[in-house]
Amino acid sequence: MASYAELRKAADAAWAAVDRPQRPYIAVSIATCGNAWGAEQTLARVRAVVQARGLECDVGVTGCNGLCFVEPLLSVTWPDGVRVQYGKVEPERVEALLERAIVRGERGGELAVGTLRGSVAGVAPIEQHVFWRGQVRQLMAVCGIIDPENIDHAIAAGAYQGMARALALSQDELIKLILDSGLWGRGGAAFPAGRKWDFLKVARRTPKYIVCNADEGDPGAFVNRNLMEGDPHPILEGMITAGQATGAEIGYIYIRDEYPLCVARVQQAVEQARAYGLLGENILGSGLNFEIRVVRGAGSYVCGEETGLISSIQDSRGMPRIKPPFPANAGLWGLPTNVNNVETLANVPLITRNGADWYRQQGTERNPGTKMFSLSGDIARVGVLEVPFATPMKSVLYENGGGLPAGHALKAIQPGGPLGGILPAEGINLVLEPEPFRAFGVLMGSGGLILCDDTTCIVDLCQYFSWFAEDESCGRCTTCHGGTQRMTEILRRIQDGGGRMGDINLLHLIVDTLRWSNCVHGQAAPTCVQNCLKNFMDEFLIHIQERRCPAQVCRGLIRYEVIPERDTEAAAGAAICPTNAIKESSGHYAIDQGLCIKCGACKERSPRAIRVVDAMPRPRVSALPEQPLPLVAAPAPAAGH
Amino acid sequence: MPDYKVLLRYRELLAPFEADQGDLLAALHALQHAFGYVPPDAIPEVAKKLRMNASAVFGALSFYSEFRTTPPPQNQIMWCSGPACRLKGGDNIRLVFETVLGIGMEGETPDNEIGLHLGQCNGTCEAAPQIWYNGAVRGRLQVADAVELARRLKAGERDL
Repeated sequence: MASYAELRKAADAAWAAVDRPQRPYIAVSIATCGNAWGAEQTLARVRAVVQARGLECDVGVTGCNGLCFVEPLLSVTWPDGVRVQYGKVEPERVEALLERAIVRGERGGELAVGTLRGSVAGVAPIEQHVFWRGQVRQLMAVCGIIDPENIDHAIAAGAYQGMARALALSQDELIKLILDSGLWGRGGAAFPAGRKWDFLKVARRTPKYIVCNADEGDPGAFVNRNLMEGDPHPILEGMITAGQATGAEIGYIYIRDEYPLCVARVQQAVEQARAYGLLGENILGSGLNFEIRVVRGAGSYVCGEETGLISSIQDSRGMPRIKPPFPANAGLWGLPTNVNNVETLANVPLITRNGADWYRQQGTERNPGTKMFSLSGDIARVGVLEVPFATPMKSVLYENGGGLPAGHALKAIQPGGPLGGILPAEGINLVLEPEPFRAFGVLMGSGGLILCDDTTCIVDLCQYFSWFAEDESCGRCTTCHGGTQRMTEILRRIQDGGGRMGDINLLHLIVDTLRWSNCVHGQAAPTCVQNCLKNFMDEFLIHIQERRCPAQVCRGLIRYEVIPERDTEAAAGAAICPTNAIKESSGHYAIDQGLCIKCGACKERSPRAIRVVDAMPRPRVSALPEQPLPLVAAPAPAAGH
Repeated sequence: MPDYKVLLRYRELLAPFEADQGDLLAALHALQHAFGYVPPDAIPEVAKKLRMNASAVFGALSFYSEFRTTPPPQNQIMWCSGPACRLKGGDNIRLVFETVLGIGMEGETPDNEIGLHLGQCNGTCEAAPQIWYNGAVRGRLQVADAVELARRLKAGERDL
């Protein structure tokens, strides 16, 4: 059996062939986000061009470095070590780029995003790219550089080094190390990882299990995907170390069905690690046994909740159950189990490799380390980045992310997934740490940050998240499945113009009731509504009392009409109407309101001739009454987290 | 009771899986991968192999939104229900597909040529609002683009 040093030596040699290549090395970024923009076609085109023209270069793949807004990505490494990142390399641009970069050896050009290493005239280092500024890439250090399907690249980048070092430590020393580092769970609950491990360690029954929660169900969060597709080995390494610290010998990685590439890459990583003796029996000759199985989910959001995930693995419906007992006492098949998030486990090798003091250099005293965030919504640059804790959210969203589309103002920020809540615009001044978010009644959550501009209707947004919670409710407890249904119905009624003042009270009542659901899905389902009733009450009142939607989103409260002075200019709109609701009569167009479904296609095609107006006559309201009081006092937060 | 050849095929597909190992999802995925759906008459075979009740297998099968028990449509439109798409008008795109094709979400046309399926956000939000047509992303859609796509599908075009 090879020792770590021997593996590292062989891996370094394999990596050097790519890192300091004999001839130019082209790496195309193959990841879910790149494939959406045709990265696979780009790779095929690169291979075809290289072969057809007999170019002196090698071609490989890599993961995504988070620059989703310039996909497809491609990098070239020259024999002198200079590496340049190119972006927006669509298949039709490949030939020109290769002609320039490989044949003529010109390294700059309009597609160059930045230099990853070395310097090139006219191309700034990637660290100076606006998206890269302020980032501290510890977890993503080699995402987009190494080939995620090649274990040698990962080992050369430092994977399994921490594990090899940790093998010499006792269980207590390892848990102390993780406690000293201050690492806490990145899945949303922010529970200290070391304490969680300690619970499992002291559990008496065996076998014990380590489960990696890769069911990144929160829509708008895609940080774990980036990690699994870009650098899967540290996750396995974290699991093995967790197994060593807690006495668990079996690990499961539960990956959601929507991430087929993650399933493939993690599965491959497991097989490669096993072949190298880094997984399985007697790991690196230390006597430690650890086995990892990959489970593919099947499209259920509640399986991201740890007890739901456990039921899903053990051959049944993914229904969460009441805690306690906590999984550390009764988890998979009733045996002691730890469920850790992908990002938590990926942090472990950093600590075992570099020590707790090193890890604490980033972030704050209470929240050491870095956190990955995915930016999406009404933002200029969609992507994944990694910043230390306590980085101002404003700089991340406005500088790295590029802020809102021109001419629009910020209305709300949606962090932490559908159950995380909605921050009002003034929340932009928060720093990225869990505590200030909690003060707003919002969860920082697993890393999604969605920006909403002033075209967003808050009632519609609440209805969306309420519908999502309803759709994904497992159906076990009436509080959750009935409560989310009722909440959605009330919000739909308000959107349709049938809102009543009593609905506000009903919403408060449901918010308070849902807190008593069995699991965190139901408990957190009303967070958005609760936040918005607090911060956007005026918008609810406008919908209910004035029967209008200020953002002109709610279909029941708007009407499309042809502007009378321009009613001859709506031909394009009439042609696109899916229900043929726009009728022409001697050159003049008018919308048949009975047929109109309010999809807005006509306004896109005839923006000059068609406008949106309020559908309902405005009721006469002399003065808005005071904000109604909730019918019941808010209960204490549910226990058991 | 399925035809014996089909039965043997089920058994062949289920061969790698064992009871009490957490293999149910993998077994159902294997069946769905082979047939495009999980044939209902395979449920007793799964149950036998994994030593479960057939009702428990069906319970799990019907719990997950990605498993289906009927043959999939020839062409599938998966509509992204994510928040980034929603903020950019994704709901109108859903409405347009439903209206033009005359089918609801999770529905198929009577000839099973075209189906609509609710997809979950997979983080390609740069392309919002988007759909996946037979797995390929069609992103940055305007509502009018969706109308045109739906009309072309309805007219018999399949290569969008």
